[in-house]
Amino acid sequence: MNNPHHLNPTSLKSRFTTRFLRALTKIRAQKPISSSSPTEIFRRYRRIKAAADKSMAYSVRSRRIWSRAMLWKLRSRSYRRQDPCSGRRSGKTNQAIMKKSSNENTTTRREDGVGFVEEADELRQLVPGGETMNLCNLLDETAHYIKCLTTQVQVMKKIADFYSF
Amino acid sequence: MDVTVLDRQQATYPLELCASSVPLFQSYLGSGPIVDLKRPEAYLGGDGFHEFVYFPVGGGPEFGDSEKLNLVPPDAAPGYCISRTSSCQMTAFHAASMKEEREDMILEKMESTTGSDSRESFTKRKAEVVADHKSKDKRIKGEVEGESEVKTKCSTQVSRNSSKENSKACEVQKPDYIHVRARRGQATDSHSLAERARREKISKKMKCLQDLVPGCNKVTGKAGMLDEIINYVQSLQRQVEFLSMKIAALNSRVEFNVENLPIKEFPAYVANFPAAAKLPAMPNLTCFQLNPMQKEAVNCMLNETMHPPLTATEGIASASVSIPEQALSSSTITQLQPFSTWNMDPQGLYNVYDMGFH
Repeated sequence: MNNPHHLNPTSLKSRFTTRFLRALTKIRAQKPISSSSPTEIFRRYRRIKAAADKSMAYSVRSRRIWSRAMLWKLRSRSYRRQDPCSGRRSGKTNQAIMKKSSNENTTTRREDGVGFVEEADELRQLVPGGETMNLCNLLDETAHYIKCLTTQVQVMKKIADFYSF
Repeated sequence: MDVTVLDRQQATYPLELCASSVPLFQSYLGSGPIVDLKRPEAYLGGDGFHEFVYFPVGGGPEFGDSEKLNLVPPDAAPGYCISRTSSCQMTAFHAASMKEEREDMILEKMESTTGSDSRESFTKRKAEVVADHKSKDKRIKGEVEGESEVKTKCSTQVSRNSSKENSKACEVQKPDYIHVRARRGQATDSHSLAERARREKISKKMKCLQDLVPGCNKVTGKAGMLDEIINYVQSLQRQVEFLSMKIAALNSRVEFNVENLPIKEFPAYVANFPAAAKLPAMPNLTCFQLNPMQKEAVNCMLNETMHPPLTATEGIASASVSIPEQALSSSTITQLQPFSTWNMDPQGLYNVYDMGFH
């Protein structure tokens, strides 16, 4: 590995890339290749997007609030798809947990005293798991989330370019 | 005048409190000579100051490290003494009675800890008391300003961490409290100190975000910056969606298999895509750059000895060999054209996106 262009194998980019490619191969393996109707493409798009989000969240593991929230969301969605009854149950318990944590944090959230509640709320909706963060944490998470999103976009662009030959 | 003050102090507090609350004493003592406020130099070099310092020390032998207590005053006390002068003149005695319980608590804490640590932690706990005292009297803001001037003079003279209650990030051994510098004319009660600390943290983080988000430099003001950040995050998320749509479309169109890609080396390949031709480890992939050679490239890739993660894919790999050839038999350029139009016109892809919803 003397090539200076080779990536650090433990970097976020390489972790995400390997995971995402594996997921892509799985997706391609599942579906028949023939169909190219818009609905099929749309379904595949959903799957690929979920795979991208999942790969990114797994690459970050549980080190960040937003990645934990995203993983939980993805898992609950897959549970719901597999078994509607269990999905409801797990959804309820998880919602209870989220509500509790949000109640704990609402006092800190509302009394920011800094004055931009509207923008902060909007940002909270964008960043996964943002509803339960106070402004300080929200800004931290946003910075890391932006970094991961840019990595994701870069890798996916390259993959798309690669495919489009 | 000083003695009377001292007498009064001793009357209100038991003797054992005297030695432990040496710095506290000075604060109250410092409140005595109001005249000296106008002459801050008196505190720095004056003998009267040292009188205050050394007086109570003799009264507290039961606190063991009296030598240490001796050491305390010359170094740490000046900061206290001087810092307390302004705020404590009128309210010190009112507050004193109210703070008796506080002193008891501080005394207990003092007893529990020993050695230099006790000195440090005690002076830190002093910060609380001082802050409370200051909050009582906002009228003396003018003197607070004067005090901060005195403090700066004092800190240059005293090498140890003086002005403990107000200096930020000094080398304290026991960081129990966050120290924030009180600026001129600003309230210095504990709530606003904490608020100010939070606000500074937040503005620091906003600066970091500013570096991450391009185009944030032009916008001034926190609200504008937050809007920029929100827009940027939204655009990134939309880009991810767009790209995944693109990959989905391309996935269905172009039929070569991803399993046969050297997955371990792909990240490197992805990293320097323009320089892919230079990678010696993947000579096959260089063929990809040339469209007419695509068929050959696919064959090369399929022949490459890779380790596909799923055994089932091998069957698919062999089955799909024929499909790529058929797909590629038609001119590759016509294949690429729809993609190019899609590249130019994301609207087309978004139409597909919308159709999927209905």
